Amino acid sequence: MPFIPKRRGRDDDDRPETEDTAVHPTAGSGRKDDVAVPDDTGLFVDPDEGRASTTDDTELDLPDDRTEDVDQRAPLTRLSGNAEESRRESSAGTGGGVSVVREPQAEDPDDEYQWHTGIRRPTGNPDAVEFVETHKAFGRNKILRGLNMGLPEGMISMILGPSGTGKSVCIKHMVGLLYPDDGDVLVHGESVPSMGLDHLLGMRQKFGVLFQDGALFGSMNIRDNVAFPLRQHTDKPDKDILEIVDRRMDEVGLGAAWDKFPNELSGGMRKRAGFARALVLDPSIVLFDEPDSGLDPVRTALLGELIQEIHQETMEDAREKNWPHMPAFTLITHDIMTARRVSQFINVVWKGRIVESGPADELFDSDNAFVNQFLAGASRGPLGMN
Amino acid sequence: MSAWLEQPKDLLANVGEGAKFSAKIMGQVYSLRVLRFLGEALRQAGVLITSSTVVIWGLVFIIGLQCGLEGAYFTRSIGSPAYAGVFAAWCDLRELVPYAFGYMMAAKVGTGIVAELGSMRISEEIDALEVMGFDSVLFLCATRLLASWLVLPFMYVAAIGAGFFASYLTVVEQVGDVSSGGYLLIFWMFQNPPDLLYSLIKAMSMATVIVLVGCYYGYNANGGPVGVGTATAKSMVVNLIMVHLIGMLGTQLFWGANPRAPIGG
Repeated sequence: MPFIPKRRGRDDDDRPETEDTAVHPTAGSGRKDDVAVPDDTGLFVDPDEGRASTTDDTELDLPDDRTEDVDQRAPLTRLSGNAEESRRESSAGTGGGVSVVREPQAEDPDDEYQWHTGIRRPTGNPDAVEFVETHKAFGRNKILRGLNMGLPEGMISMILGPSGTGKSVCIKHMVGLLYPDDGDVLVHGESVPSMGLDHLLGMRQKFGVLFQDGALFGSMNIRDNVAFPLRQHTDKPDKDILEIVDRRMDEVGLGAAWDKFPNELSGGMRKRAGFARALVLDPSIVLFDEPDSGLDPVRTALLGELIQEIHQETMEDAREKNWPHMPAFTLITHDIMTARRVSQFINVVWKGRIVESGPADELFDSDNAFVNQFLAGASRGPLGMN
Repeated sequence: MSAWLEQPKDLLANVGEGAKFSAKIMGQVYSLRVLRFLGEALRQAGVLITSSTVVIWGLVFIIGLQCGLEGAYFTRSIGSPAYAGVFAAWCDLRELVPYAFGYMMAAKVGTGIVAELGSMRISEEIDALEVMGFDSVLFLCATRLLASWLVLPFMYVAAIGAGFFASYLTVVEQVGDVSSGGYLLIFWMFQNPPDLLYSLIKAMSMATVIVLVGCYYGYNANGGPVGVGTATAKSMVVNLIMVHLIGMLGTQLFWGANPRAPIGG
């Protein structure tokens, strides 16, 4: 159930269920002063977008049928329509109603963000990666617009969203290939943009990334491709390295094709080889950038199963070896079938912000019209061709 | 008016960016950080030797033939065919061998680097290197610069030999107005070891700039295959301009004030 931005009294026990269970994405980030946070009235106060103040014993005058869909910011913006009226009411000395103080806004994000409840349903696991009010623009094109997102440890997470919404940009922020214009990106609690080069290069070894087309080095056969990180980052003898490499290649079903070069492989084989290379250093965070693109449905399903199996194995390994952080696998995809089959946690992103996030089962039952439409792959709903 | 000012501003910005990028690569080589990837540098050196040596020597050989022909016919026309070696010595060592070397480096090695790094960029291989925890500039660019410094001085000196041999063939064997001994006496009289060193400095400056320009355009390529093509073309233009600029400045610097010719005692 989405967050209902209706003002309530402090001792009101009849709070919406989501207020008890849902966590705002910025919670725990230690940046409460900088970002939008709900006050005790249920209103969101965003220091960047002006401030709202209400009297204790008043209730917002929002039509009930619209409050269901309104996001945390929406009350403010919706109020802006009523603000003049409210102000008139206050100045008339009625003493009732809502007094709203608001900076004039250049654009009204009413329509753009009306489905973005930003609700984060808790998993109980700490986040391996956190985006905190992250903004990123390329020229005039604003990609991330205050993204608050977490990828929990020990789960297969998914970042879902329409094309061009900033999903791949998220991956590049996580590994420090791009830096946010504003906000922060934390990996295991450490801020990526504030890392020096050597620290950053070290931090990246926590990651394994499967790029869309595998990104294998064309000058090496696939065994050398998979062995490359081990040869460069470890002092293991070549015999041990080849043992690890062959095991990983067997896992992805490429044991017999070790001497092939990337240009001799099909798209699916390149992805699997890329997967083997991503896993070879036992990373605690594995990112998959559209692992299903260009694959037929059967290969997509098999790849999904493979991801689940390897996540399971890595979890067992992590427990046995007592890793400080449980492995977090994250997939970026448009494919709803993959999401249904593989994901344990889903972030739905649109227009550079989270619409909703939470455990997959709960999100598939969400009341949010946008989430419903997207997860059902339906043509009717808030998301159109534009 | 502001639109007119934008272009030089962009140009200056690009030059500054390129200079910064080049300084970073040079710093990585001078600080010996590049030795972390010595294996890759040696591999690149091998690639350079196997793929570019013959073509560079071939071009320089042809240029040597031309220098010999021009020298032989010019000195014949003024009645001093015995001095064909003067023309050949200067033409080969000071000017045309460095230029031919620079052209072929730009066409073969420079564009090769842009195409290779550009393709790696658009197929996300450079991103993959970065996320595996490698400094991609160090791995891709500094290793190429070190490889070129390891290989090219020897390749260039051998290329000069090819040019000299070609001029000898033309003047002595083809045109035949001067004996072998007479030609070689004059030929060696009009050059000495510092000239060889200066010529080498000229050529290595060209090679360094070509590798750095290639790395800059390749590493920063964007816009898919078309973008890589555009970057390759741009790098070629910049490299040809730089080759001529270095050639001119080198001649001015090394031989402008003192032609180092044993004329008039």
